[in-house]
Amino acid sequence: MKLLIVEDNLKLLEAITETLSSVHLLCETATNYPAAEEKVFLYHYDILVVDINLPGGTGLDLIRAVKKQTATTGIIVISARNSLDNKLEGFDLGADDYLTKPFDMAELTARIKSLIRRRNFNGNDTITKGNVSIETTGREVRIGGRKIELTKSEYDILLFFFSNPGRVLTRESIAEHIWGDHMDLADSFDFIYSHIKNLRKKITAAGGDDLLKAVYGIGYKLIVE
Amino acid sequence: MKLIKHTYAHSAVWLIPAMVIGGLFCFFMIEWITYEETDEYLTYEMERLLNYHEQFDDLPDFHKVADIIPDLKFEKPFFKDTLLLEPGDNEMIPHRELWFSINHSGQDFTIVLRHLLIGQDDIIRGTLLIIAGIMLLIALFVLLMINTIAGKIWKPFYQTLYKLVNFKITDPLPDFPATRIDEFKSLNSTLEYLLKKITGDYKHNKEFNENIAHELQTHLAIIRANTEKLINQTDNTEKPHHELKRIYTSVTGLSQVQRSLLLLSKIRNREYHQHEDVDLQPIVEQALEIFAEAISLRGISVHRELAPCHLFMDAGLAGIMADNLVKNAVKHNIRDGFIKITLSPSALLIENKGLEFRGKPEALLDRFSTGKDSNAGSTGIGLSIVSQICELYNFRLSYTIKESIHCTAVFFGERKDNTISEY
Repeated sequence: MKLLIVEDNLKLLEAITETLSSVHLLCETATNYPAAEEKVFLYHYDILVVDINLPGGTGLDLIRAVKKQTATTGIIVISARNSLDNKLEGFDLGADDYLTKPFDMAELTARIKSLIRRRNFNGNDTITKGNVSIETTGREVRIGGRKIELTKSEYDILLFFFSNPGRVLTRESIAEHIWGDHMDLADSFDFIYSHIKNLRKKITAAGGDDLLKAVYGIGYKLIVE
Repeated sequence: MKLIKHTYAHSAVWLIPAMVIGGLFCFFMIEWITYEETDEYLTYEMERLLNYHEQFDDLPDFHKVADIIPDLKFEKPFFKDTLLLEPGDNEMIPHRELWFSINHSGQDFTIVLRHLLIGQDDIIRGTLLIIAGIMLLIALFVLLMINTIAGKIWKPFYQTLYKLVNFKITDPLPDFPATRIDEFKSLNSTLEYLLKKITGDYKHNKEFNENIAHELQTHLAIIRANTEKLINQTDNTEKPHHELKRIYTSVTGLSQVQRSLLLLSKIRNREYHQHEDVDLQPIVEQALEIFAEAISLRGISVHRELAPCHLFMDAGLAGIMADNLVKNAVKHNIRDGFIKITLSPSALLIENKGLEFRGKPEALLDRFSTGKDSNAGSTGIGLSIVSQICELYNFRLSYTIKESIHCTAVFFGERKDNTISEY
């Protein structure tokens, strides 16, 4: 799995690369349009993470170039511009996902993993942790082969944890993952608390491993053995 | 009312005094000429009689003598007006008389010459006919004149107006037509200056927004990423963990506020102008869908009465407006409260149960103004975004609180149609 990260801010680029490398993704980087264009022309990448604002060109042009080269490359746009036009144009050109800065690394990781699954690069759509497994195409959760019923939000939260094993997911991050821009609902943290409580109850009741651990005052984390 | 119609109306008003003065002038002129001519004729007749009398000591066979009064002598001949009954149509007719004296065989005689005058009613009739004819002619020519003037002289003005009305802030500056008229020249150059300033301001504002977005968001992203990393590296029993948590929460809050402020700035800068026919009904339903989970978790009951409501606005802004209104109603609700949403073609009303609020409800529309009792996580910016959108589209927004029931209403009203055709 090879990724090309194109971002003109070195510090952010470093943070992204570090995070993605820690989950065993091979990252190459470019900080401006010409460099990115050259790399795209010379090598094959499975996923392109691209910023819209680039020195020497726009990320949208880069998407066009990549799509011409290899149409199967998955594309995630990260942009500071929260404008709808760009978002739509990006999707029109064949971008798969769109993230607005500032975003959590956990969110970026989850989006990349989801893209990998959707593209079915690994030929495998089941993620298993302990005795709990998620089959992403059917949105089903099984414990030791037995299916359990989860609500949409519970499923989304569980998948978010499965995409970021061993990482602390803050309550803010989880809220933003489920509700997006509307995460600032007064008691969204209470909702997350009750969602996770229900999720744990459902999993343990079905004999599943209790994988979610509270990190006091901050959030939760999926324990990896 | 169009400029040309105004000109017609004003010209017509000015024709009235012209008609009155012209009529009087015409009347007196005709009357004066009548007297002048009659007097001249009577004087000639008098001279003829005097000459004849001197030559033949008799009066000619044919003369205009109306009366001869013996033993009466006037030093000087004089004119006199008199009215005589015309037996034919039984009407008093004005006559002009010339009285003069002659001496015949030692006896004085006063001779009265008389001639018919044109009656005043005849003069009035004549005057009216003349004035009517002339006025008709003048009106016709004024009409033609104004038309030509409007068409030719005012043409640059209409062209400028047409370009101005159809101008959009994102368009390149319009080229105003060249004109030799000083006033239009200065109008065009002033407009050019203003438009240049406005589009410049718009562009700068837009660039500023984009730069702020890019720079701030990128650095916020770096802070967030690194704080996240530190949180993962630190054991949660260590002290720095709490500080990290505070940094992380603040950065998240800052990102949200900054995003909302940017949105507000963009709306204010009128950067959303993909106006189209938008039906608010599915948009409101979608907004309710977004918050459905929060609504059910808090045990809030929703009563909805939604009718199709077509508005001419930016679809994105319509969504933002609906989301923020519904969100506000959910956010400031209480456990087991209710939300009542009524959408009609002319208004969107949202009532919700909430906490009692003392103070001016309108103040809540201001930026960062939150109720004292509001919960954490509220930036107080949602309603000011709605307020800004309403201002942009001339919608009326009202926020009232009666005891513990909050009511937000948006009245769409009539949209002004500001189209203009080129002259």
